[in-house]
Amino acid sequence: MTDITPGIFMIIAAVIVPYLPHHIRQIFTLGAIALSAFCLSAGVGVHWSIIVLGQELILHHADNLTLPFGIIFHIAAALNVIYGWHEKKAMEHTAGLAYAGAAIAAVHAGDLITLFIWWEATAITSVFLILASGTEKANKAAMRYLLVQVASGVMLLAGASLYWREVGSLAFGAMELGGLGTWLIFLAFGIKAAFPLLNGWLQDAYPEATILGTVMLSAFTTKLAIYAFARGFAGTEYLIWVGAAMTAFPVFFAVIENDLRRVLAYSLNNQLGFMIVAIGIGTELAINGAVAHAFAHIIYKALLFMSIGSVMYRVGTAKATELGGLYKSMPLTMIFCIIGAMSISAFPLFSGFTAKAVIMKAVGYEGLVIVYLVLLAASAGVLHHSGIKIPYFTFFGHDSGLRPKEAPFNMLVAMAIASVLCISIGVMPTQFYQILPYTLDYQPYDASHIVGQFQLVIFAMLAFTFLMRFGFYPPEIVSTVLNSDWIYRRLLPRIGSPVLSVANKVSVIVNDIIVSSAKKIVIVTLYVYQHPLTGPVAPGPAAIVLLSLLMSVLLLVNLFS
Amino acid sequence: MSNLNPNLKKMGNYASIALVVIGITLIVFEFFVHRHGEIALEDLPFFPAIYGFAASIFIVVVGIGLRHLLMRKEDYYD
Repeated sequence: MTDITPGIFMIIAAVIVPYLPHHIRQIFTLGAIALSAFCLSAGVGVHWSIIVLGQELILHHADNLTLPFGIIFHIAAALNVIYGWHEKKAMEHTAGLAYAGAAIAAVHAGDLITLFIWWEATAITSVFLILASGTEKANKAAMRYLLVQVASGVMLLAGASLYWREVGSLAFGAMELGGLGTWLIFLAFGIKAAFPLLNGWLQDAYPEATILGTVMLSAFTTKLAIYAFARGFAGTEYLIWVGAAMTAFPVFFAVIENDLRRVLAYSLNNQLGFMIVAIGIGTELAINGAVAHAFAHIIYKALLFMSIGSVMYRVGTAKATELGGLYKSMPLTMIFCIIGAMSISAFPLFSGFTAKAVIMKAVGYEGLVIVYLVLLAASAGVLHHSGIKIPYFTFFGHDSGLRPKEAPFNMLVAMAIASVLCISIGVMPTQFYQILPYTLDYQPYDASHIVGQFQLVIFAMLAFTFLMRFGFYPPEIVSTVLNSDWIYRRLLPRIGSPVLSVANKVSVIVNDIIVSSAKKIVIVTLYVYQHPLTGPVAPGPAAIVLLSLLMSVLLLVNLFS
Repeated sequence: MSNLNPNLKKMGNYASIALVVIGITLIVFEFFVHRHGEIALEDLPFFPAIYGFAASIFIVVVGIGLRHLLMRKEDYYD
């Protein structure tokens, strides 16, 4: 049974989910995830392949790189079920289960076509998590999201076809950037990984999803892209620079963004940058770092989205301008939020520290000083907007006067489990490193590293305090901050609409000409018909018209034959 | 700062004091722990502290600048 690709059971189960009553459905979903997780025990190798049109499709391929992603995707899926237990409507549960299943199956794809199928499946299933919001705004964001995701899929398919022609194989393994095929695949991955300027969809769509939907979305799509890069393009030098830019840019946007779920979407983007840098370096140490970071990141990011989601569930908004002072009414949510914040900020004893340390070591080892300094500054930036801004503006800051109830029990349980995982990874690095693709003999806890890291985070916090106290910190403002989605939401329509209107006018004129000449031809034909050659008046005007018609037909035939 | 409730203000004060104390402790630690980093620059005295502080200020300053460039009304796209 373990030959069945992990994730498949979840997709099959998703078909049944909408027909089950509420609590039974949640238990059933957890069962499906457990069954799917059992398939991870198949071990290294190819376990399931089929021949379609003479091509071998490898549906289940497992190795040391697929395993950590498989494990963390199952954990995230299970956490989502617990976090969303209170939700009685089936739409998000169905879409979420199928989405997680598709992402897990994609990780186990051994060839590019199978990868493409699951790649698209994640797009089509996840869009329902945004549509489930049911607002006009969410519907529009969902359509934009779907367009971008499908574009990525189409590029992957086109790239795969070209790659097959160039190389003669569809196997999904390490690729060299060279021909158009590999570039298209690279870009397809880049869209899903939210590269700079290709990232607009992420900050656009994630905050528009439902509370549960955003938590689900945060785990899979982008990390699937990270996995795909790690398998396909490890050691591609461009990625180092792209990744460094990715860690830096979102930080500035996150500082001035008002919607806290959007702030988290920016910080998600920044975290992906760290992984992309490590994949660009491509050494065993660096790949270990990327995978460790992806693993830890999925949990603390989900935890942060969960805590803000819980607040949103209680008070109906995630805008910094409308929140504040909730520490007393939602103390447990606050504690979990701070654990997530300390994890993402890489405080020693939290998961971000043990994971990010490996990447920093790999960068330092390669002597990439500028990249190292960018990543270090970006780390301070993460601390700033995710570590401080999120909990500060929600639970402290200015008092909003809101006094909601604590989050529902199931949400608290999910956040508690995520918190325990964050701390466990933080305090047990040796055990954590064992799930990584390559053996890693590294101890992040030495006095030097601990003091250095504490200096970085504490003095970054002092900078925040300093700016706050002296009123230099930019106040939260109700606003929209333009991001790269502006290109296709404003720039292209603005440029495109005059071009389209000119094209429209031209087509109207051409249409008129065609229609009027068609009318004339009909009239002439009628005339000819009514004045036959054989008749009392010959040759007459009809003969001339007929002759000229015949001549022009002959001429046209001659021209085009 | 006017709408700060007194409890929050008090907590803020405590937190600031605690941070300053921890900061000073870390500076003192620098003299006892032989700190070394992954790159040579990091070995300079107090480097992470100075860099963390400066980077944070820099990020906020650029952020404020970015507001002038990229901030629009909330209903901009509607």
